[in-house]
Amino acid sequence: MDSSNDDALDIIITNVVATFRTRCHLNLRTIALEGINVIYKPELGKVLMKLRKPKITASIWSSGKIICTGATSEDEAKLGARRLARCLQKLGFKVRFSAFKVVNVLAVCSMPFAVHLIDFTKNNRPIASYEPELHPAAMYRIKHLKATVQVFSTGSVTVTGPNVQNVATAVEQIYPLLFECRKPLCKS
Amino acid sequence: MSSRVCRTCGGSDIDVDQARGSAVCTSCGSVLEDNIIVSEVQFVEGSGGVSSAVGQFVSADGPVKAPLLGSGFHTSVGKESRAQTLQGGKRQIQQLGSQLQLNQHCLDTAFNFFKMVVSKHLTRGRKTEHVIAACLYLVCRTEGTPHMLLDLSDLLQVNVYILGKTFLLLARELCINAPAIDPCLYIPRFAHMLEFGLKTHEVSMTALRLVQRMKRDWMHTGRRPSGLCGAALLVAARMHKFRRTVKDVIGVVKVCQTTLRKRLTEFEDTPTSQLTIDEFMRVDLEQECDPPSFIAAQHKAKMQQLEQELARKLDDVEGEISCYKDEIETELEKSRPKLRGIYAAYAKEIDPEDAEVLSTTSDPEEPEVEEDELQAAAQHLTQDFLCQVIQEEEGRGKKTDDREQEAGPDMEGVETQRQAAPLAAILGKLPSAASLGLQQTFEESETDEQLEGGELDLDGIDDQEIDKYILNEREVQMKTELWMKQNADYLKEQKEKEERIKKEKEQGTYKEKPKKSRKKKEQMEASTAGEAIERMLEKKKISSKINYDVLRDLNSRGTGSGGGSSPSRASSDPPDINATTRKRVNRRRRKKASNANRDLAANASMMGKRVRLLISSTSKKKTSNQTENCVTMTTDTTTEEAAAEGTPDPEPYTNPTPAAPPTVLEEEEEEEDEVEEECVSALQLVGDYGCEEEEVF
Repeated sequence: MDSSNDDALDIIITNVVATFRTRCHLNLRTIALEGINVIYKPELGKVLMKLRKPKITASIWSSGKIICTGATSEDEAKLGARRLARCLQKLGFKVRFSAFKVVNVLAVCSMPFAVHLIDFTKNNRPIASYEPELHPAAMYRIKHLKATVQVFSTGSVTVTGPNVQNVATAVEQIYPLLFECRKPLCKS
Repeated sequence: MSSRVCRTCGGSDIDVDQARGSAVCTSCGSVLEDNIIVSEVQFVEGSGGVSSAVGQFVSADGPVKAPLLGSGFHTSVGKESRAQTLQGGKRQIQQLGSQLQLNQHCLDTAFNFFKMVVSKHLTRGRKTEHVIAACLYLVCRTEGTPHMLLDLSDLLQVNVYILGKTFLLLARELCINAPAIDPCLYIPRFAHMLEFGLKTHEVSMTALRLVQRMKRDWMHTGRRPSGLCGAALLVAARMHKFRRTVKDVIGVVKVCQTTLRKRLTEFEDTPTSQLTIDEFMRVDLEQECDPPSFIAAQHKAKMQQLEQELARKLDDVEGEISCYKDEIETELEKSRPKLRGIYAAYAKEIDPEDAEVLSTTSDPEEPEVEEDELQAAAQHLTQDFLCQVIQEEEGRGKKTDDREQEAGPDMEGVETQRQAAPLAAILGKLPSAASLGLQQTFEESETDEQLEGGELDLDGIDDQEIDKYILNEREVQMKTELWMKQNADYLKEQKEKEERIKKEKEQGTYKEKPKKSRKKKEQMEASTAGEAIERMLEKKKISSKINYDVLRDLNSRGTGSGGGSSPSRASSDPPDINATTRKRVNRRRRKKASNANRDLAANASMMGKRVRLLISSTSKKKTSNQTENCVTMTTDTTTEEAAAEGTPDPEPYTNPTPAAPPTVLEEEEEEEDEVEEECVSALQLVGDYGCEEEEVF
């Protein structure tokens, strides 16, 4: 994954969001009343269920669509989703696990150097944008990967993309660009 | 005129008479054209012998139908929608730009941007205000004027981030590269606002030097430029012996105290801060610093490292101590004379020193007991696993055997780690082999059985654990009670809604509107607008920092901005028949708005447009009713506005307004008296500002 650098760059995945369907109508009230760790929001029309084992929060809608957030890897997300489906099965719904898809992955990475954001934005004009009045990071959108990279001046980088592979590729792509605009840190 | 062919005879000889304006075929005599359009200028004699040309100026933007309703209506009647949009946009740009004191060149450029935006259909789904603000800000950035996005958001009372989003999108779509903001641009402007008198220039120069130094010290990346400017100006002012407090500066620069202080402390950490004033003006230090957030992170990392080292040292020390302890004990054992036989038994009971020996002898028993338990658990597990393995093997056959053989050499490594008795070793082999083998088979099974059928794959899911997630009956009952109590309001609402729908269905007037059921707001009964505002603020708890005395003082004054913005909106609306009553209503409404807070006034005027549209649809009512509607609706809608400040969606606005009139209608009679009192007071106020009113229009 980090073939472009000599010493490995740790890409830490902090959040994975996945969706799946149960293909059956769910009665939110039953879930709310019979489940532990459940929050029912009737105004928004959904139930929030939190699992402990893979630390996951799931939003459950009555149509049977479920969104799982908070996992730290794609496998964990799948495991959590299946656990959730099993739990719903036990509550008495005819749940069928289908259309599982990882929708978003958020990863954090730290460069060993600081980055000069203004130079970085100038070099990558239309793709990168930096508005210090609005957000302290420069935003770089990679269209073909559908990934967004936010670069902070300290050299830490957060990447969001549709799957882990894309995220890794995005980091690889952006590393040389950041390397150009690096600021050598003085040990003070 | 090109020669044409006659329709009747086909002859091409056509006689055109300009004076009569007719075209006649000479061969057959049929008249082809009557009243030919001529491009001549005609003159008409007016009263007093003045002759003027007949005709009108037509704009080049598309076909224009002649305005038949007379020349009194400047509003865009009879023009195409595109022309209307552009004209409206131009007007708004002029108005907003003049408030920002932009010159005409900038305004023209902004209008050009706006035209581009409209042609790219980017105005769809966005408020024109936001688009205009974004265009203006784009101009400010390209021209390098010292205007911040914050200024624009202040004028429009819109969240800065929303404007920022629109601005970024427009910049991207129009491929305009706005140069990065330089804090140096803002210094002269802020210095001027801080009123340094004759020494303004010197102070600005000093502040500029400071900012440049800060830039080199990496304090400016990722920060708002206004914060840096504020810090620099404060220091520069002090250097030139001006007593500007932090409060003065933050009032001008629009950052908060904490930010300013933070910038100052960061600057303090740089080596430049150690120089004297003279030295600073003369000398430039070569060394550059790291960005402050990086230093903070490094500091944290160092602290963590230190803590870890300390913990390790503690462990080492503990380890050493326990080593010494063991050594001492062994020495003691050796040195003690060993009793044999009966005496040994007695010695055990009597000698307290041997208590330690006892404890050490009992220790090896415990791990054995634990291991027994482990063995029992291992047996239980193996049985489960083996059953499953057998099932898998029936399907798989060879592969598991291979796996187990492979697992064989692996386990020995595992075994050496265990301090197990030989029996345990044999039992231990099976679970590890089984688990290793199984895991690999499970992985295969997962990949083979595609979850296309929607069947839930149950591996890795412990059913017992899942059962913990489900409450038993009694718990369910209790939770039901709790939940019912908590959500009693919502359930009541739902019931009422259902009943309403049922009734309407019976009557046959059921409307399929997807209404969001909102809580009915109690109509506030207040004698003056000021009281109504106080009550609303108390209820909503918008801010406990509002000084009500000042609010009341505002009652006697009118607000210029609140008055300025609403008439322009009034003129942009389609003309109504009762134009004069409308103006009076505007004025009254404005006066009411002036009684409120400035923010509320601006909100009210924004809502005024939508409120007015509603009123025009129900124009049968008397004007007094209209003012009533306005008053109650403004109080209603301002509360909504204040609550939903950051998200100006058009939908929620239109929803409450249809809801509000029916409620107002019901209570109209009750409030009439109160409103009439207000009307009287408004009239009095209007009397004071007679001249101002007329000037605006």
